[in-house]
Amino acid sequence: MSDSVRLALDNGAVLLLHEDHANPSIAIRGSVRAGAAYGAPGVAECAARLLFRGTTRRSAAAMSDAIEDLGAALSSTNAEEAIAIHGRCTAETLKATLRLLTESLASPALAETELEKVRGEVLGDIRAQQDDTRRAATRRLSELVYSRDHPYGRDPKGDETSARKVRPKDVRAFHGAHYGAAGLILALSGDLDGKTLQNTVASAVEGLDAGSPPNPVRAPKPETRKSATIPMAHKTQADFVAGRVAVARSHPDYYALNLANLLFGRIGLYGRLGTTVRDTLGLAYYSFSSLDARLAGGHWSVSAGVNPKNLVKAVQAIRVEAERLEKEPFTEQEIRDGKTHLVGALQVNLERNAEYAGALHDVEYHALGTDFLARYPALVRAVDPDSVRKKAVACFDPTACSWVVSGPVAGLKLAF
Amino acid sequence: MATATHTLDNGLTVLLHSMPEAPAVTVWVGYKVGSRNERPGITGATHWVEHMLFKGGGELKKGDIDAIIGRLGGKFNGFTDTDFTIYFETVPPDHLDTALMIEAERMRNAAFDPQETEAERGVIISEREGGENNPKVLLFEELWHLAFHAHPYHWPVIGWKTDLERIRRDELYEYYRQHYAPNNAVLTIVGAFSEEEAMRRVAAHFGPFRPEDQPAPSGVTEAPQEGERRGVIRRAGTQDHLMIGYRVPEIAHPDTAPLLVLQAVLGGWHGVGLLGGPFVSRSNRLYRGLVDAKLATDVGAQHALRRDPGLFVVEATVREGVDPSKVERAASEVVEKLRRKPPTEAEIARALRQIRVWHAYDRDGPTARGLLLTWFEVIANHRFLDDLLERCQSLAPEDVRRVADAYLGEDNRTVCTFLARREAG
Repeated sequence: MSDSVRLALDNGAVLLLHEDHANPSIAIRGSVRAGAAYGAPGVAECAARLLFRGTTRRSAAAMSDAIEDLGAALSSTNAEEAIAIHGRCTAETLKATLRLLTESLASPALAETELEKVRGEVLGDIRAQQDDTRRAATRRLSELVYSRDHPYGRDPKGDETSARKVRPKDVRAFHGAHYGAAGLILALSGDLDGKTLQNTVASAVEGLDAGSPPNPVRAPKPETRKSATIPMAHKTQADFVAGRVAVARSHPDYYALNLANLLFGRIGLYGRLGTTVRDTLGLAYYSFSSLDARLAGGHWSVSAGVNPKNLVKAVQAIRVEAERLEKEPFTEQEIRDGKTHLVGALQVNLERNAEYAGALHDVEYHALGTDFLARYPALVRAVDPDSVRKKAVACFDPTACSWVVSGPVAGLKLAF
Repeated sequence: MATATHTLDNGLTVLLHSMPEAPAVTVWVGYKVGSRNERPGITGATHWVEHMLFKGGGELKKGDIDAIIGRLGGKFNGFTDTDFTIYFETVPPDHLDTALMIEAERMRNAAFDPQETEAERGVIISEREGGENNPKVLLFEELWHLAFHAHPYHWPVIGWKTDLERIRRDELYEYYRQHYAPNNAVLTIVGAFSEEEAMRRVAAHFGPFRPEDQPAPSGVTEAPQEGERRGVIRRAGTQDHLMIGYRVPEIAHPDTAPLLVLQAVLGGWHGVGLLGGPFVSRSNRLYRGLVDAKLATDVGAQHALRRDPGLFVVEATVREGVDPSKVERAASEVVEKLRRKPPTEAEIARALRQIRVWHAYDRDGPTARGLLLTWFEVIANHRFLDDLLERCQSLAPEDVRRVADAYLGEDNRTVCTFLARREAG
């Protein structure tokens, strides 16, 4: 990150810049700490979807025309902790694009007519998720791992009941309370320089009200192990997911656990898991593991899409792979390969402006320090191999995981 | 930087595009073989061959490609389409030779171990079944199936399940040996590398391969459509979907440019690459006519760029409580309006600007640029996209109305609807 610029404004907003003139475009990646954790169910989702749908000065149609007439793009999506902002423009259209972005952040219309359209979209998305074996299973796993009492356990979209209940005044109150500059990060990468950051970007953003700094999300507590079945008789394939609470991004065990997860279910075509379940046994198109590390906590999970007749065998194979971590721990070679992967991937993944802006954003979001990208290779190399092996055995313990299966599985007897 | 073109004696086309400051180098190899080269009985063979080419051969053992690229932190993948098959590795710049070695082994020395081929049958059937879970995938398959009676676009790239259950290893291997040859391929390198050294290494890895006679194209020409075709899928689900496919000419046809502008006016523009991002266009005719009217929750229009005549697809997800036939009528009205009256100057100006600017977004980074160069060299030539998008810039509203009128008529369309039965679960 040595060639990047960080600018903290008086109103609390943080701006980040990576200058790269190889492509005549600029990628924007931002966030506002106004996710579902901070509002009644469904309200944050509607607020995020309404962000670029008109302001007090222009209608929704005029706003989309203004963005698209520039050839620019702006979008906002809601999640548990924050809304994500994505944007694209050129050096020529940067100023106008930022004007539309800040106008939307400062004075969105949040109009009833647009809310009605958004309500239909949210309901449609909830229904699409209910009919999607993978999304439905993943959603249900979050509820089991964190419980619905915790924001990470609830669907950021809310449910059908909450989506129907959201009113314009709810969204306006939520926006007023949570869309301040104090929780705003904007990272830009591409065809601009430090002077432009100062003169164009900072001057557009510094006019935003600070608002209140975001409250931290409380840490999730480990839940007791549970399981669920979501029968969908009309589907061809079943999805299996299992997981448990892991660590926050800031936890000291993160680097060891991240490396362990890489080796278990990601590297190459899905690590040890993919080698067995997909490559050797031919049971699934995908079988991988994920480590989702957030501000206040996180979870580890394993997923596979399988024909129901192979489900028992595939789940057994996943379990055997997890248990093998104790009897056949990661070798020195595997750990060396994992470390070189992480260091190389950082370099390769920064080849595009969108990815670079995303990396800058994430560093700031997780308060990793302005020199983080430069320090990252050393951090990875310093991870103790024994710690990786121990964390893998402790965290990827199938007997501690909750699990969900969805699809044409009614009556199927499954154990994990 | 310009793209340099070389051709080896064995017919391999090599494209070099230097980006000296890039933190990576990408190697793409595209083959002029897709599901359009298949015949009934071996549908899905192209895609299955693609899967087998990650399983070693020559200097590479099973799992080596994953392990080698994995430890470098690189990206790699393969894609099969109707018209081409394409592979890539993006790696740190000092590992260009590794990527070239992998692609050279893949071109002529893949193992096709019988046991591995059998294991992959399960993986591919699983991939197909994952697609069958998705109503939109089912509907898309039905649309092309109905719209083309004779041409290989009739079947899906992944193939029919009955063929996937039957195809033998030797059929796949024969198909591979026939089509994976230097004279049927394009090799592209983009990123930080020395052109002279790169060509030396390309010649060392690929120069010894002999060209193969390529079978003549199937020559199947789809007869003109003489009336609307309709298909319905009734299945348990939670949402209704609509897809309308209009028969349109091949990519090389002069009307491709106005059809792309028509796509932007009708459904918005997200570039032609695979990295469009999470953006929704709302300044387009279909959004205003269907989503703003609370008939649909999302809409889209796509002119498929194919070597042979294909489809221009209009689609919508029906809003809960709305009769799908009402959505179809509204979509038809939007289309009919454009057939009768040209889009406004403002709409054309917006579309042209979007097409121009998104072309820059599409080429951000070596991997994205490598994809576009290789893809278009395989189906036309690598300059084609630049030329095509440039041609768009000189179009007038009437050009767009003319192609809408010529191709988006009722007798030229196939309408497919997914009607979700809500009671099942």
